[in-house]
Amino acid sequence: MKMLNMPVDVIATFNVQGKIRPNYIRLEDEEHTLQTFKIENIVFSREEKYAGMPAIHFCCNIIRNGCAQLIHIKYHVKTHQWVLVREG
Amino acid sequence: MNKIIFHIDVNSAFLSWEAVYRLRIRGEKTDLREIPSAVAGDVKKRHGIILARSTPAKKYGVRTGDTINDALKLCPNLVMVPPHYDLYESCSEAMMEILKEFSPCVEQYSVDEAFCDMTGTVGLYGSAVVAATLLKDKIYSELGFTVNVGISTNKILAKMASDFKKPNMVHTLFPEEIEQKMWPLPVGDLFFVGPASKRKLHALGIHTIGQLANTDPDILRAHFKKYGEVIHAFANGIDLSVVAEEAPPNKGYGNSTTIPFDVDDGSTAKMVLLSLAEKVCTRLRADNVMATVVAVSIVDIYFRHSSHQMTLISPTNITNEIHKAACKLFDRLWDGTPIRHLGIHTSKIVRGEVYKQINLFDMNRYEKLSRLDAVVDTIRERYGEDSVKRAIFLKGPVYHMAGGISPEKRKPMYKEGITL
Ligand SMILES: [Mg+2]
Repeated sequence: MKMLNMPVDVIATFNVQGKIRPNYIRLEDEEHTLQTFKIENIVFSREEKYAGMPAIHFCCNIIRNGCAQLIHIKYHVKTHQWVLVREG
Repeated sequence: MNKIIFHIDVNSAFLSWEAVYRLRIRGEKTDLREIPSAVAGDVKKRHGIILARSTPAKKYGVRTGDTINDALKLCPNLVMVPPHYDLYESCSEAMMEILKEFSPCVEQYSVDEAFCDMTGTVGLYGSAVVAATLLKDKIYSELGFTVNVGISTNKILAKMASDFKKPNMVHTLFPEEIEQKMWPLPVGDLFFVGPASKRKLHALGIHTIGQLANTDPDILRAHFKKYGEVIHAFANGIDLSVVAEEAPPNKGYGNSTTIPFDVDDGSTAKMVLLSLAEKVCTRLRADNVMATVVAVSIVDIYFRHSSHQMTLISPTNITNEIHKAACKLFDRLWDGTPIRHLGIHTSKIVRGEVYKQINLFDMNRYEKLSRLDAVVDTIRERYGEDSVKRAIFLKGPVYHMAGGISPEKRKPMYKEGITL
């Protein structure tokens, strides 16, 4: 079981309106090797400010082993870090 | 029209903020607020004390200010976490932002407390209780921690009200409710009555706030002097101070500090002024601006507020010059009453290069001091605020750059980013 939010590598686009969209994410597979997944679609996103730290929360789908899988990731606005909140 | 004042107080602030950070930012599963836990200074050193504790820890009898050893005797399975003061500043700032959305007049009272003047907002939010509930729920849903809101017609009553049952509650204490809600409380619960005064009041047979309120003020004056009048007024719910909104940030640069001990000699007060000037001037220099007007404010132990200001011959951002002006103002202003809070405010800000009116007698000094300040700023920026300090602060009781969160609370900090 994953206990903590894990920093992850993400490729994202930033459009002229300042909208952020994560496109690719690098996750560990069962053998602990890194694999890049395309983010197929974003189910929802919302801005958060827990503990006064602004973040954007994305719930999105990736394709893993041929099936769609929901993941939750967050972009921390102040530190420019992406973290994986949970898979599935 | 009667005023409507809110007092907002974060429930077990440091602990709640640690809990939110761990839950929401780090993604931990345990909520510190739901287990016996505490924020404790320097867990490794035996002498650390409890800075905040959870409600379950409170049930074991753990109190804020207990030593770690005593706390562990009361509650052996107490989970202790170190403090992270930069996190608290971020939580505090975010809360103040929300308060400013609700009220045009917000006075930050401490890192986790504020007063809002909500007079005349009934058309916006409905009744005071509705507005307070909305406010408290908004803070919880957006920032993740709970607050108590006290409502009344002045600050002292609002503050007393927010201290009633916790957590996550709204309470009113209007003047007509004083007798029923405040007078039965022990006199030590009254704001501004410390342990020493409490003992003295007990010796006089005064045990409840109601008894204090109904004591002849002359008796109190005889035993406590001016302070007796203040607590008598507070016990009767009388407080004439207004919610003092700070000056808008871009109009001036100021800094103030509540001193951990009462200052009754001028030289210590001037040391505090120097440490305040140090910080104000650092900020002026960082923004490449100079100030033309310097003001000093004093709050004495009777909560009397006084201030005085002067215009300088020419604008400056040199620590020594601002401090010199502040000392001059202080000497004119101070009547010798012990001080609990000092502030420096600078205004009439001018930007960029300024033609300096050079004083015939210290023209070399200006160049030198200005270069000195620049070097000190660079060193501090690179190696931290404490890397260079004036010798006068070496052994003294005053931290060399006062204001904001007090220095003993400054470290350790969460690093920028997510620590795993
Ligand atoms: Mg509090």
